[in-house]
Amino acid sequence: MSVGVLLLTHSGVGPALLGAVRGVLGPLPLKTAAVEAAFGEEIDHVVTRAAAAIRQIDQGAGVLILTDLFGASPSNVAAQLGNLACPTRRVAGVNLPMLLRVMNYAEQPLDEMVDTASVGARNGVVIDHG
Amino acid sequence: MVEQDIVVSNKLGLHARASAKLVQLTSGFQSNAFLLCRGREINAKSIMGLMLLAAGKGTLIRVRMDGSDEAAAMAAVIDLFERKFDEGE
Repeated sequence: MSVGVLLLTHSGVGPALLGAVRGVLGPLPLKTAAVEAAFGEEIDHVVTRAAAAIRQIDQGAGVLILTDLFGASPSNVAAQLGNLACPTRRVAGVNLPMLLRVMNYAEQPLDEMVDTASVGARNGVVIDHG
Repeated sequence: MVEQDIVVSNKLGLHARASAKLVQLTSGFQSNAFLLCRGREINAKSIMGLMLLAAGKGTLIRVRMDGSDEAAAMAAVIDLFERKFDEGE
């Protein structure tokens, strides 16, 4: 039983990242969904869409919610979702390295996956001295 | 433990899709798999480890396998490099 992965981001970010990770890995080992919060959109609408997406991708092991900017509306929505439908954990600062590493450790339980995601994102930031 | 040196020969080097193929291959073996390159040693079952090598065409890499199926794992990895990751160039 695997966790689901929800990207909850500003417009355009989540689907683009999922497209890129699929381009690299092919079919993904985890169920994924992307929910975008449009600028100026009513927060309640985003909460409703995100909750529906969570129900769709949860397979009983919970859902990892990845947001693009801590403290911004998408991550505030993620915090509101709580554990209503299923267990969720949140990590902000999603990037391609984070997603690749999460898919690399697809068998991990939700509680370990948050650290896997965080380390992947941090190690992916490299000052390239050439 | 077995070790073998190989030069990255495909045009795009150890880029993202090639790294994903290598991880898929090494993960199918029980042996621990490592690449040594420019003084770094990384787990060849980790896609981000491979990416951080930034190994382009012409880079010398040492492949190290350690485990019950190390010979088969080494042969498979060398074959993947020699097939240029099935990229055609």
